[in-house]
Amino acid sequence: MNIQNKDSQTSVVTDLLELVAANAAQVRDEIRAALPATCVCLDLDLSELTFLDSSGLGTLISLHKTMRSRNGTVRLLKPAPNVQQILELTRLHRVFEIVNG
Amino acid sequence: MNDHAPSAVRREFRTLLRLEAVCEFSAVRAATLAVRDWLAGKGLPEADLGAWELALVEAANNAVKYAGAEARQRPVTIEISCGERDVEARIIDHTAGFDWPTEVDLPDVDSESGRGLFLIKSLVDQVTYLRHAGENVLVLRRARPVSGGEILPDVCQLQNHLAEVETALTDMTAELASSYESLVALFRYSSELGAHTDLKDFSHRLLKDLMQIAEADCAVLRLISHDGKKLETLLVLPGEANKSLPSVALVGAVASVEIGAARDREDIWFGPEEPLGPDDPLCAVMPVGNGICHAFYVANQLVGTATLGRLMADKSFTAAQVNLLHTFIDFLAIQIVNARLLDERTVARVTQRELQIAADIQRSLLPSKIPSCMPFELAAACQSALQVGGDFFDIIPASDGVLLLVIADVMGKGVPAALFAAVLRSTIRSMPQLFDQPGELLATANRTLFPDLSRVDMFVTAQIAFLNPHQQKIITASAGHCPLLVWRRDAPAAVALGQSGFPLGIEPLTRYAQTETPLPPGAAALLYTDGLSESRNAAGEMLGEKGLLRILAWAAAQTSDPQTGKHYLLARLADYCGHEPLTDDQTLILIRHVV
Repeated sequence: MNIQNKDSQTSVVTDLLELVAANAAQVRDEIRAALPATCVCLDLDLSELTFLDSSGLGTLISLHKTMRSRNGTVRLLKPAPNVQQILELTRLHRVFEIVNG
Repeated sequence: MNDHAPSAVRREFRTLLRLEAVCEFSAVRAATLAVRDWLAGKGLPEADLGAWELALVEAANNAVKYAGAEARQRPVTIEISCGERDVEARIIDHTAGFDWPTEVDLPDVDSESGRGLFLIKSLVDQVTYLRHAGENVLVLRRARPVSGGEILPDVCQLQNHLAEVETALTDMTAELASSYESLVALFRYSSELGAHTDLKDFSHRLLKDLMQIAEADCAVLRLISHDGKKLETLLVLPGEANKSLPSVALVGAVASVEIGAARDREDIWFGPEEPLGPDDPLCAVMPVGNGICHAFYVANQLVGTATLGRLMADKSFTAAQVNLLHTFIDFLAIQIVNARLLDERTVARVTQRELQIAADIQRSLLPSKIPSCMPFELAAACQSALQVGGDFFDIIPASDGVLLLVIADVMGKGVPAALFAAVLRSTIRSMPQLFDQPGELLATANRTLFPDLSRVDMFVTAQIAFLNPHQQKIITASAGHCPLLVWRRDAPAAVALGQSGFPLGIEPLTRYAQTETPLPPGAAALLYTDGLSESRNAAGEMLGEKGLLRILAWAAAQTSDPQTGKHYLLARLADYCGHEPLTDDQTLILIRHVV
């Protein structure tokens, strides 16, 4: 996993391979720790994510709540079809802005 | 003992995978990836693989998440069974378990947990959660897509599959063929049923056909005895003269597979591994090889046992052949029970017919009308307790206006008793010259009837009364019969009169005394059978001769008309008996000297 601050307001997380029970809490905590106080736009690049389970969904929700508390947003970039399917199945596609392509 | 369970119509080819993972998230995740790879090898399309991966991850994560310290020491087990039409997974954990909710809904969007069960339920077709002490099993099943466009199974797998299908088809064909044969045979038997009433002959042909179709070398059919205590041999096939089987008692010391099958209500197989006991009666007809014994029941009642045997020890009966045995024998069982019921009904019908004939004879013997013999008037009644009683009476007019009255009770029932009554009637009627000598008449009748009566151990009590209108008296003689009861106007009480000799048929040379009793105007006399005096009330007390005398005195005082008097008498008797049924015939002749 790699966290980059594009600018003072935007952070991008890349190289997320799996987001599952085994690493969900750790990923959440690392991202939170790396977020600058000024960040209001968190982009999670899911193009490399092969698998997501309900614990991973919990991490996404947790980050979403963190950003909302500072009037910011979480965007999910380029999720693979199977990941997008899970998001839709759990109706979280209504919560996150999903950016394809 | 029995590994010949009927084959499924279509046997499915399933492969199994079993994995144990240490109770940690990373370990169960690795296990789910292994399952995914394995399922991919089975040709599951990508969408199914994804669904299974996520469902298993969710299930396994729960097993880890909720494991206590002790459960954490034990592995999480994943078992996968992959068939042609579906995949089934079992996740076995050692958590305390939980109550699977009846409705699995998504949590609030802000909730960071609680989506696992929802995902599982959404991803598979069927979820079953079995909660036990110390172990819980989550069973997940998901159908495979019908057409496997993406599947490219290896040639070996395809060949295996083909072989399986071929075996299943062969089994089906064999089963169908034997079913068809048995169906045809059963239809044929059914159509023959009307023509063949001989049960043994019918069973013989059925068993022979069964042996042929089921490829058996010998067969034994036993039926339960009528007392239900033993199995009796009906048939031993092939029917050679030296092959006879003694009955076996249902309860006894003999170790017999037939008794065992009847007792335990299950088929018993015997063969090289489980040979017949040394004392088993079947040893006589099935000394080597193997066989199966089937006990058959109808309406939960043991009907018998059928045993099929083969001389070849290494060739036991197939499931299809066992099915044939069951089908044929259960059909036979119904026919046997039907035949037995028919027998019982036939016997009942014959008995009924006999009683009807006897009743007809008896009715024909009774006088159609009562002649008058002024100044004497008569009334008579004869009511039977059963369909046919042994009672009989006759009133015979003779020249010069005299009357001979006969009342008799034949000891016996049915046609023989009715026939003796008929013979007695014609014997007496053939001797009008002796009418005025009733004693002599009885002695002659006794001599005539004695040989026939004694041969069948029957006897007849009779009383004969001669009534002469010009003499105002009655002359009686009795052969072991009830005495004459007489009531007169000048005496308040009625009395019993007359002597009696042996009944007819006891002693060939019996002499019978005659008694002359005056019947003045107004007098009443009663001839009767013991059915009247032996009437019993609800308390079981017998009316007796004295009771009958009282009733006679009362009835005679009420009316001088014998017809009315008879009704009074019978009404009083009915009162006495209450609701008790008539236990014996009641026959009477009432004589009245009208003023």
